[in-house]
Amino acid sequence: MSETITRRLPAWALRTNGAVVLIFLYAPIILLVVFSFSASRIPGQWGGFTSEWYATLFDDSRLQRTISVSVKVALVSTLLATVLGTMSALALERFKFRGRKVFDALLYLPIIIPDVTMAVMMLMFFSQAFDLLDSVFGIGLSKGFATIVVSHVAFNIAFVSVVVRARIAGMDATLEQAASDLYATRWQAFRFVTLPLIAPGVLGGALLAITLSLDDVVVTQFVAGPGSTTLPVYVFSLIRKGVTPTINAVSVIMLVASLILVAGSVGLQRANASRGRQQLRTPGGTS
Amino acid sequence: MNEPLGLQQQMSAAVSLRGISKLFDDVTAVDNVDLDIADGEFFALLGPSGCGKTTTLRMIAGLELPSAGSLQIFGEEVGSLPPNKRPVNTVFQNYALFPHMSVADNVAFGLRMRKVPKSEISTRVQEAISLVRMTGMEGRRPNQLSGGQQQRVALARALVNRPKVLLLDEPLAALDLKLRQEMQFELKQLQREVGITFVFVTHDQEEALALSDRIGVMNDGRLLQVGTPEEMYDAPVDRFVADFIGRSNFLKGVLESSDVVCLSNGQRINVPVVATVAVGDDVQVSLRPERVMICQLDAAPSGVAKLSGVVDTETFLGNSVVYRVALDWMTIEVETDHRPDVARHAVGEQVDVWWRDDAVAVVKP
Amino acid sequence: MSVGIAEAKRERSERRRGFLLALPSFAYMVLFFAVPLIIVLVYSFATRTSTGSTALSDWNLDAYRKLGEPIVRNVVVRSVILALVTTVICLVVAYPFAWFCAHQRPTIRNLLLIAVMIPFWTNFLVRNYAWRILLSNGGPISSFTEAIGLGETNILFTKTAVVIGLVYAYLPFMILPLYASIDRLDRRLIEAGRDLYGSGSQTFRRIVLPLTMPGVIAGSILVFVPSMGAYVTPELLGGGKETLLGSYIVTQFLTARNWPVGASLSFVLMAVMLVSTIVYFRSGGKNL
Repeated sequence: MSETITRRLPAWALRTNGAVVLIFLYAPIILLVVFSFSASRIPGQWGGFTSEWYATLFDDSRLQRTISVSVKVALVSTLLATVLGTMSALALERFKFRGRKVFDALLYLPIIIPDVTMAVMMLMFFSQAFDLLDSVFGIGLSKGFATIVVSHVAFNIAFVSVVVRARIAGMDATLEQAASDLYATRWQAFRFVTLPLIAPGVLGGALLAITLSLDDVVVTQFVAGPGSTTLPVYVFSLIRKGVTPTINAVSVIMLVASLILVAGSVGLQRANASRGRQQLRTPGGTS
Repeated sequence: MNEPLGLQQQMSAAVSLRGISKLFDDVTAVDNVDLDIADGEFFALLGPSGCGKTTTLRMIAGLELPSAGSLQIFGEEVGSLPPNKRPVNTVFQNYALFPHMSVADNVAFGLRMRKVPKSEISTRVQEAISLVRMTGMEGRRPNQLSGGQQQRVALARALVNRPKVLLLDEPLAALDLKLRQEMQFELKQLQREVGITFVFVTHDQEEALALSDRIGVMNDGRLLQVGTPEEMYDAPVDRFVADFIGRSNFLKGVLESSDVVCLSNGQRINVPVVATVAVGDDVQVSLRPERVMICQLDAAPSGVAKLSGVVDTETFLGNSVVYRVALDWMTIEVETDHRPDVARHAVGEQVDVWWRDDAVAVVKP
Repeated sequence: MSVGIAEAKRERSERRRGFLLALPSFAYMVLFFAVPLIIVLVYSFATRTSTGSTALSDWNLDAYRKLGEPIVRNVVVRSVILALVTTVICLVVAYPFAWFCAHQRPTIRNLLLIAVMIPFWTNFLVRNYAWRILLSNGGPISSFTEAIGLGETNILFTKTAVVIGLVYAYLPFMILPLYASIDRLDRRLIEAGRDLYGSGSQTFRRIVLPLTMPGVIAGSILVFVPSMGAYVTPELLGGGKETLLGSYIVTQFLTARNWPVGASLSFVLMAVMLVSTIVYFRSGGKNL
């Protein structure tokens, strides 16, 4: 198969490298889970089994508040970003319109822009906007839940749009034409043909949006108000003060949450892949 | 050329195109097409890819709107209507079956969109499915069907709506050869059964000859000739048509009078009376290889057109033998039946080729 | 209705439909992304007043001149070096791994790719925190090296720890594009190279490497750019001692309150990103 390289880098070297990479990727996560059950007060040392650190989570009202903020932010921003991202994906993939290229480029930026720059942008924007609203209309606004949601939507539209566009691009445009040939109005063609077919892409985009929203520390830290801290921002500030066994337990909870989302998206990808293969077989069916 | 039908026939024309053109960003895809397709006809639009035949079909379907001209279906102007308001249905090239719906749901789609009562839908769907002999497959998904089965579902999905005209875009192109021949037969049978006008687009001349009542050949957006398969083969009026349908030799010349052509070697030949070219114009004489005879030098019967030359190549094709005969001003291809009892001509042999006056057609160069 | 008019009308209504569909997100992106971006640009030319607020009246390049000052320059240089080291380590580790993946049976290949994807989907903060535990004094790695007789390792809050964290965070970004380009590589080309008397290393250098270059470049950009702007990793694993560009920018906003300098540095960061992206597309890359 690849004798040339195999001769240079023997098979065992490749295999060892593979094993090392996998250990490198997974050992930290697994050890984190293990140590979250350690009775030692020093995180990272084994002191016998306990689950008391998980119990302490339930007493921490601050923690629970940030969890609820995080969940709400994630749900609201994901919903908005999914709707807006899907609409823009449809527009970009299926229509020509004035300003299409500018919009395309604008939607590309949030994907490659560094977190810190995005955070700075949102902070300055809100401070300017609030100054303006206060001086012109006398409306006093402050940072909080809404500013976090607005910021998360601002970077998530782009990610949803990319995922959904890939799905639409893989969909045969003549299916929509077939629907209109069979007396469907534009709306019916969308509702009964396009939407069911792009649904896996939309769901995949939504999962990515939730993940990114729950992942974000930097942007949220810049736009959160005093009473509206999200879980990652809160945990980040705790870690900076010093690690504790409780943080281990919280981290494992966050880990589990993200693993559930991973399972969803991996499952979705596999379903997409197998359906994609079937669709490839569909036209012609020559064997 | 397609002459406008008489008034009475025009009344019953299923599809009528007058001066239809389509421009895509200043590129002319379809150029001023006039065409009448009669009710109940099996009509083929034939041409190479990019000739405008599919665009023409899509304009009849309403998937594209014409840039100019008038488009009528049974006397009703539909040129500006969207596809969902036209009494036609389409079988798409790759069938475009909805992959997320069962066979039955695919077939029922059009009726549901038109809000046909539920009970009627189920009977009509059953009828359509049995018409294409797919009974028992109602619950299958398109990806569980073979190419031929998908083709039938696509037919049922269109026919269930009882369209006034059925449009088929390269309906057999995606099938392999054997299945294609089977489906040709079935398609013809089906058309007789339902009695609906079928308009289909193809780039395959044999398919067009085998299936259709009439053929229209298109090239570069223009409709060159319309006629029965026999007319198209025996009496092409355009070099492109003669070349695209079957094979042909083309002899250059000038039309001297309505039935005499002076070939470019100076020889005069008689031709069937020509009305499509003006006397004095440059023309080409189309001569089918199988209508040219070959014989030993000076053995041709008297009173026929004949040319002398040398056998250049000789190719055995099983049922026939093809000779290329070099004249001093061109090469002529001759196809003769293969008969073991008749001696073949050897390469380098001096021969005569000859034909009867009615074997040729004068075409525009 | 005349036919030609209907055609033009449908064309127009299609365009309008597309525009209306794009409008909500377009407007959103202009208001909440393009405008903020412009504000940052404008601020980078403004001046910090003695009270810590920002004066917009006095336009100048002071903030950019600050980039030449030793403190800022050191931060930038350090960030570039750490990001480069991270990128090179990722490349060296990921290339053989991607090669290995591409030459497995489909089932195993998919499992390996999923194994690479999962950490990418796992919470970023948690992944960094895990290393904080692993590297802590008296933590698992230190205990391990002590047990095998190498003595304690105290690398937490050093550059090494930051690089480990960055490699951990961005390794999947290197593996996936590399895998994609290696997978596309026509195996027969390698055989042809060998057939034409190329040695193993010649074949690799002259055929395999150039053909997988788009993957190398894409992966390098995807690792280098976020490493340059990293904030969480250096904070948690560098303990704030090893200030990098990302942390420095945050400090300018949250503590030093010098918005113009923070804005100009953010802009520099974004310029790095834009230039890299343009380089990528120029070099024939298609998708990041």
